[in-house]
This record gives sequence, structure tokens and C-alpha cells, in this order.
Amino acid sequence: MKSKIQSLIVNSFVFLLGFLSLLAPFVVPQARDASFSSTSFPVMVSLIIILCVLIILFEAQATVLNTKLIAFLGILIALNAGLRFLETAIPGPAGFSPVFFLIIMTGYFFGGRLGFLMGAMTMLVSGLITGGVGPWLPGQMITAGWVGQSAGLLKPLLKRWRIPGKPSEVIILAFFSAFWGMLYGAIMNLWFWPFLGAAPGQTWFQGATLAENIGRYATYYLATSVVWDVTRSIGNILIVTFLTRPVLRIFTRFNQRFSFHVNPKGGQQ
Amino acid sequence: MTNALTWASWLLASLAILLSTRNPLLLSLILILLLTLGTRMTEPGSRKRWLGQNLSFIGTMIFLSSLINFIFTHSGNSELFTLPQSWFLIGGPFTLESLVYGTINGLVISSLYLTFAILNKALSVEQLTRLIPTAFYPLTLITTISLTFFPSIQERTAQIKEAQMIRGNPMKKLSDWLPILIPLMVTSLENAVQLSESMTARGFQTHTEDQKSPKGLVLLILSTFLVFSGWILSLFSYPSWTSWSLYLIAFLGIALLFIALSRKVKIVHLHKDRWTTADIAAALLFLLISLLMVSLIISQKTAFLTYDPYPTLKFPSLPLTALLLGLVPGAPLLFNLSHDRH
Repeated sequence: MKSKIQSLIVNSFVFLLGFLSLLAPFVVPQARDASFSSTSFPVMVSLIIILCVLIILFEAQATVLNTKLIAFLGILIALNAGLRFLETAIPGPAGFSPVFFLIIMTGYFFGGRLGFLMGAMTMLVSGLITGGVGPWLPGQMITAGWVGQSAGLLKPLLKRWRIPGKPSEVIILAFFSAFWGMLYGAIMNLWFWPFLGAAPGQTWFQGATLAENIGRYATYYLATSVVWDVTRSIGNILIVTFLTRPVLRIFTRFNQRFSFHVNPKGGQQ
Repeated sequence: MTNALTWASWLLASLAILLSTRNPLLLSLILILLLTLGTRMTEPGSRKRWLGQNLSFIGTMIFLSSLINFIFTHSGNSELFTLPQSWFLIGGPFTLESLVYGTINGLVISSLYLTFAILNKALSVEQLTRLIPTAFYPLTLITTISLTFFPSIQERTAQIKEAQMIRGNPMKKLSDWLPILIPLMVTSLENAVQLSESMTARGFQTHTEDQKSPKGLVLLILSTFLVFSGWILSLFSYPSWTSWSLYLIAFLGIALLFIALSRKVKIVHLHKDRWTTADIAAALLFLLISLLMVSLIISQKTAFLTYDPYPTLKFPSLPLTALLLGLVPGAPLLFNLSHDRH
């Protein structure tokens, strides 16, 4: 119980700080000064996000990680990083990525903390393998972590409505994955957007209202990312629809296999 | 120059310079140096391909960045044409200044991308993994397990795919991949069970009592909050020393936490990065330049690096100090790189 309360406080703090940093140009007028935002905004937001990711990882490694979960996550992340390579083999247009499926499944079946670890570590490992380590990596890690973490919130809700096992479970998960297919792109763009700022003192968003800024961001998003993100959402729906049932069955089977417990002091448990 | 920490200090110095300048001449110089460095670090047979791929990425980035700024920003005196103001978001004068500003943004983004692409080239996956702080050793272990099992999972995927194709699976639709993913997951998770049993049998312990204590977590959270507060204070134009003091306290807090935790962990290194004379010299040089850049930023003396095309476009100048700083990202060209043996 104590661990759960600690986790709730830590994750709420991180979510608040991470989101506030990303949304600063919308809510803090001073952050809209392009002369400031174009240089220091990406650096500071990346730094704060790196620290946020470290907080969650630190909390998780001290509370939930044991030998079983280390081995389980290590292998599952390798599998998921491999799916990133399958992007080229599986027939699908640009933007289509099977990488979110296992993140959502892990979060949904094993809970938010493991979901976050699965999302964040998948991005880190696949970044190392594909040579994709860069300033975008902390943003990818925290956003993919949030995908898995939020999937963990679905399970208790669906249980309350007695949905698990019914066809509607797959439908809800498919919609959930489609929603994140769009939101992932929108959040990742937030890190990048102020980089494209304009003239100091006359910037295109310094003097604008919140609604105008949202409008400008929406236009930028529609112009640069929407096609990509829609394709990813459709891909997520298809993968979740086809693969959810068999993968959940595998997780149920291995959840029992991983239930062994060792008492270091010896004796029967 | 092969040591991971030397390359990390090169990254720090290059980023500090790159993010402090908007001078298109300086940025072009840095971009050319980075392209030269990247080409030298690529195997001779693949150099043309590497250069071609990166030039096309840089071209696309500069084009998109210029276009977006040109369409959405209506500042500057050199008006090219005007669209009616009533046109939502894009209405207004289209200026040469906004086009140039967009191009400068494209140059910054391309240079940033190339800097990290070179770091990925310079360091092996093992070297990058070793840069993860020891305090996070369970996560380093997860990363190492993933990287170790990745090739065998790839190999198994190819084997299962081949077996499926022999059985007549056309591998054209998404559902055709189900007979690959399911056996792949089952066999991989069997590996995970065996691995966890072996680790448990050998007495592997993930966390010490110190790591379970919330003190470290609280310190990390406080340090993060200090960084966030410093940033917010700088947004509201408070004296820069207040923000920098908060950043320094936060940095010291995190450093102390990592040092204290890493001392509790005993890790055996089978292979250690060698420190050659060139590595030590280069690391010292890059660290000195990083410190110089930080002091210039704190004292707000970076005017010689800046360039602003607004309100009226003018040709940028390139002072000698700026030119010398621009040569820093290309400094590894002076050293013997491990990649030269290719």
C-alpha cells in the first residue's frame, strides 16, 4: 500500500512537471519569446524530461524490479526492438509501427509501472540498436512510457465493468491504441515546435492568445504530422484487433510460470 | 580518440556551441566539418552512400523548416508578396527575412542531427550502455539482456519465417504474421524464465536497502524541481545567477546521489575503455571549451555568436573568436580515430 501511494505521488509529480514543461509556450507567455525559446527551450525541456524519466526509473528499480522482471523485461524489450525492424517487412505505409502493441499489452496486463518501463526502455534499446540516440530520445522515452502507464489504468476500469474476456475488451484496446497513435505524434511535436520560432519581439506566437497558439499548433500539426499519425493509429487498430487475444493468453500462461518465489533464508514458503 | 567519455565531452562542447549561435556562416562551417568527420568515420566502401543519405536529409530539413517559417511568419521588411489578411494563419506579407530565419533553423536542426549521428558512429553499443550511471545498474542489466538476446531473436524470426513460407504462408497480410509472432514470443519468454531462474539460483540481488530508502528518490525529485524552478525564474527575467545557482545545487545533489549509490554496487568490468594520451588531451580541451561556453552564457556575452535577420536582412559577419569556436565540432579530425583502420 505504502509503495502504491509513493508510486502515485511520484508519477503524478513527474506527469505534471513533464507536461507543464512541454506546454510552457501555451500557458506561460514569457516562454513564447522566440529569442529565448528557440535556443534554450529544447535544451531545458530535454533536461527536465531526462530527470523526470530518471525519477520514474529510479522509483521502479527500487520497488518492483526483481530478477524475474529483469529477465522478463529484458527479453520482451529485445522482442519489441526487433518489431521495429519488422516495420520494413510487414506490409504497411509510412508511419505504421508495431512497436506500441507490446507496450500497451504489457501495461494493460502487468500494470502501469511495468508498462512505463517497457515503453521507456524499448525506445532506449531500439535507439541504441538503430543508432537513434539523440536529443529526441528523452521525449520518445517518456511518451512511450506514458503509453504503457496509461494502459495500466484501463485494466481496473474494464474489470469494474466486467469487460475482460468479452469482444468489447479488444475494441476498447483498439480505440485506446488509435488514440495514442495520434497523441504520441502530437506530444513529440511539442518538443520540436518552439524550435521553429520566428522573429524575436515579433514572433508568431509571443503576442498571440492561448486559442490562437493552439490554432497555430494545430495548423503546424496538420501540415507536418497528421498523415503519419493517422497511419500509425490505423496500424495500431489492426495489430491490436488481430493479436490481442493470443498475446494476452501467452501473458496469462507466463504470469503463472513467473510466480515462483525464493526465500533467501531457506525453508518453505 | 576512442574513449566514450572523450566523445561525451565532445558532444557537450559541440552542443553548447551549436545551441548558442544563429549565425548562418558559422552553422554552415560546422555542418561541413561534421559531414567531413562523419565521412571519415565511415568505411571507405560506404562513404558515398552515407554522404548521400545525410545530404538528402539535410536538404529536406532545411527545405521544410524554411517553408514552414515562410508560410506562418509574417515579419520582416523585405516583402516578396502578400496574401489577404483574412486568410486564417497564412494571411499577410511573405518576407525574405522569415525565409532566411527558417533556413537558419534548418541548419541548426541538421547540425544537431549530424552531431548525434557521429556520436552513434563513434561509440559501440557497449560503450553507450556503459555511459548509463552505475546507480541504475538494474536498468543497465535490462538493456544488456535486450542487446544480448536481440541477435538471437532476429535469427529465430528468420528461421520461423522460412519455416512458415515452406508451409505455404505467403507473408503478405498482417494476419499472416501471427504464426511468426506467437512462436517467437513463446520461445523468447521461455528464455526469460530460464534466465530468471539462473539469476535467482546464483543469488543475484537487484536492490540494496539504501536503494529501497526513499531518501535518494526525494533528493532526485527536489533536484528536478530546482531545475524546473530555475528555468521558470529565467523565463520571468530574474537575474541569471539565481537560475544558475539553482541548476548548480541540483547538479551537485544528483552527482552526490549517483556517487553514493554507485559506491554500494560492485561491478566487475571485463573490458574497460582505454585512456590514451590523445583521449586525455581531447577530453580536457572539450571540457575547457564547454566551461568557457557556460561562463559566456551565464555572463550573457554570446552576442558575437548571434545573428538576427530581422527586421531587415543583412549579411552576417564572422568574428575570429566565433570562427575558432566553429572549428571545435570538427576537432576529432585532428586525432587518430579508431575508424581509420577500416
